[in-house]
Amino acid sequence: MLGIDSAGELVKKVLFVLLIFLAAGSFPLLMTRKSFADSLEILAASLLRQTGAWTAHDPDSTYDGETIFDYIDGAGEVYRAYNMRECLSRRYTATGLPTIVLDIFDMGSSEDAFGVFTHDRDGKTVDVGQEGLYRQGWLSFWKGRFFVSIYMERETVDAKEAAYHLARAVDSLIGDEGPKPPILRKLPPEGLQDRSVRYLHHPLLLNYHYYLSDENILNLGKETDALLASYSRGGKRARFLLVHYPSPERARGAHEKFLASYLPEGGTGGAVLLENGKWSASLRKGRLLAVVLEADSRLLAESLLREVKAVP
Amino acid sequence: MGTRKTAITRRDFLRAGTCVTLGSLVGLPLAESTHADRTKKSRVVLVRDKHVLDGKEQIHPITLGRMLDRAVTALLDASDPSSAWTRLVKPDDIVGIKTNVWPYLPTPEPLNTLIRERLIEAGVKGGNVSADDREVLRNPVFQRSTALVNVRPMRTHHWSGLGTLIKNYIMFVSHPSRYHDNACGGLGAIWHLPHVKGKTRLNILVMITPLFHGMGPHHFSRAHTWPYCGLIVSEDPVAADATGARIIQAKRDAFFGGENPINPPPRHIDAADTRFGLGTSRLERIELIRLGWTEDILL
Repeated sequence: MLGIDSAGELVKKVLFVLLIFLAAGSFPLLMTRKSFADSLEILAASLLRQTGAWTAHDPDSTYDGETIFDYIDGAGEVYRAYNMRECLSRRYTATGLPTIVLDIFDMGSSEDAFGVFTHDRDGKTVDVGQEGLYRQGWLSFWKGRFFVSIYMERETVDAKEAAYHLARAVDSLIGDEGPKPPILRKLPPEGLQDRSVRYLHHPLLLNYHYYLSDENILNLGKETDALLASYSRGGKRARFLLVHYPSPERARGAHEKFLASYLPEGGTGGAVLLENGKWSASLRKGRLLAVVLEADSRLLAESLLREVKAVP
Repeated sequence: MGTRKTAITRRDFLRAGTCVTLGSLVGLPLAESTHADRTKKSRVVLVRDKHVLDGKEQIHPITLGRMLDRAVTALLDASDPSSAWTRLVKPDDIVGIKTNVWPYLPTPEPLNTLIRERLIEAGVKGGNVSADDREVLRNPVFQRSTALVNVRPMRTHHWSGLGTLIKNYIMFVSHPSRYHDNACGGLGAIWHLPHVKGKTRLNILVMITPLFHGMGPHHFSRAHTWPYCGLIVSEDPVAADATGARIIQAKRDAFFGGENPINPPPRHIDAADTRFGLGTSRLERIELIRLGWTEDILL
């Protein structure tokens, strides 16, 4: 027979052993959670199979940089231009209800996940991921190195609710957030229109947002980081481009090519009056090339460049 | 700087002024001559019938067949649809129907069937007719084809601004993505490839539920389609596309409340005219015939 004291001891021991088991048991879970952000395959295994009335329609599809064109037609070029590694696609279906399509793009880096997010910044801000947007029938966000798109083939109240539920679930599975491109810190802050900022590498994308030339006159490419942004100061507006090159020599070469092709009058560094009455100017600083593509006034063009020069 | 300027830039466009579109400017320095007859107007037929869609937005094939027949007859000033089709094709023709299978807004299958029926009624052998999109380069009928019928829905498009009849031939090349530069301004070149050139007998731009604004990776939103219930039919793909583009632009402006240009601008339509000589994009050189339903016609 055990006395009360010894019975109490036994309960303590059992509880202790239980705690050890629980801790040991939860350890793999913690490990799994940490690793979610590392693989689309693991993420897929943990994704919801049900959201509202919708059920995952097997099997999932995955695409790489080549096969993405089979899935999303020409727009696949956008994801390739941001170094997309893989895309996971899952369709959620329910009888008589619009299909919900979940696409998770592994962009390889948080900078490029942010970049592809900036390709289309229309919509209402939503509190999902690091930044999220909702437009009629489409919810998107970025987090870590993933860009997530949830598309409803037709927007209904229930589909929208299910899409939000799914978005939050994916958000929590991804886990860690990631940094934005460091070049953002080089943008002059005054009058910057946050929603106008596009981060890109490829001249095709620059031309999509702001047609500059049929040739790559800024020598943009995978190794260059570029920001396109709009400013508004005292009623005056400007479009501004900032490019970071791998070396000062590459930046110098690109600047010379740009001046020769686009702004030959700007060789001495002054602002140039364009044919549409706007002002354009450019400046190289080490590995950075700043271009005021067009500004309403000479003062604004020159101020922006002066501020870039002053940023450490 | 010593570098000879060869690139076409935004400033060239600004210098040329707003009267000249960027698409036509892009073609200026190139050597391709234009072959279109500048004195002749291109005829375009727009036919609409609101009954082509039922209450569930499903296509009514009989109504669609009537629309097609009216359009082709008017296009060729023929006495009836049968004689119109016999002027388009001969019994010994081998005909590829270049369709479009984009899942969100494909060429309606009833329309493919109708075209096939009309071709066979005109004397073409059944085995010498095939409808295809992604596999045209491997399809034996297309490989032997003497004639093409080009049919697709109009929609906004991520790179080219608009998915057009001109763009529909992009599957005739093995690397379509190579044509994405400059908002796909070089698409017209595909029409001059030996396996395509001179074969197109009829272009049908499907405007039944066009897409006037796209979003997301799939560039589709059901909320941005509308029941226009029309077909645009022409022997000139450029004139048909230019007409469709006007409708899409008008719809965007009306929907968004103010000017809302198609983005990116569909330069390839102008370039197909000025650079590649495939037809005319200029309003003053298009003879537009309107048939049927006129409500909210947007033209």
